[in-house]
Amino acid sequence: MKIGVIKAYILKELTELVRSRFIIMVYLMPSMILFLFGYGIRMEVTHARTLILDNDQSPISHQLVSKFEHSKYFDVTLSSVSEDEALRRIKRGESDLIIIIPESFEKRLLHAQPTQIGVYVDAAFPSRGVTMENYVKGVVLDAASSVAPGLAKGIIQINQRSLFNQAMRDEDAIVPGLIGLVLLVAPAILAALLIVKEKERGTMFNFYASPVAKAEFLSAKMIPVFLLHSVNIFIVFLWAVYLFEVPFRGSFLLYWIASEFYIIISLSIGMLISIITRTQIVAVVLTVIITIIPGFLYSGIIMPISSMIGMSRVEAHIFPVMYYNHILYDVFLVGEGLASAKTQGYLAILALYGAGLLTLGSLLLRKELK
Amino acid sequence: MTKIFWAIVGKELIAFIRSWQLVFVVLYAFSVEVYIAGSGIEINPRNVAVGYVDLTGGGMSQKILTRLHAPEFLPPKRFDSQQQLSRAIFNKEIIIGIVFNADFEKNWRGGKRTQLDVLVDATAASQAYTTLGYLQNIVLDLSGVNLLLEIASHKLFNPNADNHTFMALTEMLSIITMLTVILTAVVFVREKEQGTWDIMLLMPVDPKLIILAKSFSQVIIVMVGIVISLGFVVFGMFETPMNGSFAAFMVLSFFYVFATAGIGLFIAAVARDVMQVAQLSIIIMMPMIFLSGAWTPIHAMHPLLQLLSYASPLRYYIEGSESIFYRGTQWGDLWPYFLGVTAVGGVMYAMGFRKIGRLF
Repeated sequence: MKIGVIKAYILKELTELVRSRFIIMVYLMPSMILFLFGYGIRMEVTHARTLILDNDQSPISHQLVSKFEHSKYFDVTLSSVSEDEALRRIKRGESDLIIIIPESFEKRLLHAQPTQIGVYVDAAFPSRGVTMENYVKGVVLDAASSVAPGLAKGIIQINQRSLFNQAMRDEDAIVPGLIGLVLLVAPAILAALLIVKEKERGTMFNFYASPVAKAEFLSAKMIPVFLLHSVNIFIVFLWAVYLFEVPFRGSFLLYWIASEFYIIISLSIGMLISIITRTQIVAVVLTVIITIIPGFLYSGIIMPISSMIGMSRVEAHIFPVMYYNHILYDVFLVGEGLASAKTQGYLAILALYGAGLLTLGSLLLRKELK
Repeated sequence: MTKIFWAIVGKELIAFIRSWQLVFVVLYAFSVEVYIAGSGIEINPRNVAVGYVDLTGGGMSQKILTRLHAPEFLPPKRFDSQQQLSRAIFNKEIIIGIVFNADFEKNWRGGKRTQLDVLVDATAASQAYTTLGYLQNIVLDLSGVNLLLEIASHKLFNPNADNHTFMALTEMLSIITMLTVILTAVVFVREKEQGTWDIMLLMPVDPKLIILAKSFSQVIIVMVGIVISLGFVVFGMFETPMNGSFAAFMVLSFFYVFATAGIGLFIAAVARDVMQVAQLSIIIMMPMIFLSGAWTPIHAMHPLLQLLSYASPLRYYIEGSESIFYRGTQWGDLWPYFLGVTAVGGVMYAMGFRKIGRLF
């Protein structure tokens, strides 16, 4: 390894990167993803378009309807269309939910006869459907206990305390996970084209013919991207803490070190792709597929790893996202840091992962034509 | 005219097939990726790890615990103290912790206000929400209160709220978007990069025909991918219902893919090399997929984002596809989606077409 060679090569790489308006990729994209998803993704379902058919028109049914009207979860339209017409509206995607209050609803309740409220939920988007169903139950139950307070006596109340995320803010749950996604995708895509570009243009022969060693070549390719993206670790941290107001309870040093390891992993994934592919288009598509989708699936944003079974559980353990995100959630929300054996273990896994990928990359890189 | 058109289309298709790596990656995206997304994600509670501390000495607490069974819950794990339980939640071994206080049983028997303490790891917010709802139902059911009021709830179109078919479908739609944009853009940019662009300019062929034929060839590739993905994965592996017309879906897809190819043309006109294509397409695609309502319901978004989502053809495509597959909407009621895809898509394709046309 000659430092002079590496320096010269890095200079050349940087010039090329600057010329290809790389700045969009390095600094704009991560922040954009963080803004868009951080503000946009909401697990809560609000403003469900609700159609209520009140066939009873009694004081009690009015009371029930007004409970729905005053909930932020429902946008209520009262209507007296037929049930068939209401169902057609769901089919056309104009309503998400129909609630049918039967005739003589009040009479039956007052005479202590059992009665039924019909609820039809559009479950074409399943999780949304289930959530809406639960909300309806909650509102009806709430209405029932306010009409007849005696009812509430035998009910066991659930007193829920959320650890780490007391307010159940969606931002707190999502933004750290997004950092794991952003720092996986952005460096990988930038790195994925660096070598394959030379192959496709034929300038790879310069490397074959020159006395530059493989290790020098690889480090010259990776160091600029690594340094540029290291800045992002701080940028996304600032957005998370000051813009999204996610609490930060752990040690910044741990966050920083783990993120640097993670960036090395991400870079190495891109580098590996660049080494095995022959054309740039393949490299782009492959990188997008193997970083964005697993980055989302296994980030823990959508579902916890412990709930996965079979293939996806195995895969979640293969991808680095899971380990990094555990550390991220720890430093942001839990704050236990290196005191936990699991965090120590995961940090070690990240370091080994990076080292392993780097070794694999340098083994696969050839310095002569096949 | 038509002969030249098909010659160019044929040439692009051959170029695609010759690159076996590209064929492999595209096939992989349309099959394995769709399968993984469909099989892996479960939003309903499943295998939720529950831990508990029981200070009551049995009775009601055990009744509640026996209700927490597979597949939604793992067998509840007993802890001796609340500290141990919190520790396990810290380490993400337990997601929901239930604490039965010493007076829990007494209060309940005495008909007093009874309280059940639940500790939730809310870093997994979505599952925490649904699991809490679940627990609420169990407890309500067990309290034996006769409410006289029954909620007869029906989940239309997907009675078991099966998430797999839905995830596989939306994943396929996202992959269609991604591949169409990148493939179309690269078909043009590759010529720029390799220097064959000038040769193309010298050809005695109407530039409009070249643009049309080149983008059409990529539309064909993606359409074949859609058929493969539908046949082997969406229908083959997941038994997705098809309540509407298959033809309607294919026609809608064709319009949509053409519209998306327009975005590819636009990127191709601006980008000078594949690196820029990668950058631009991600910057354009991410918001587009995001605003489509595939991941998060549109009606819960910020009003400004809702307004913006009207400009994303993917929004109409996804809603239209959901309607065809699940809601079984008939041709006549599908017109808003067709109109949306063709109108927004037409404008996009025309813009992309003009932009790249200036380079000829």
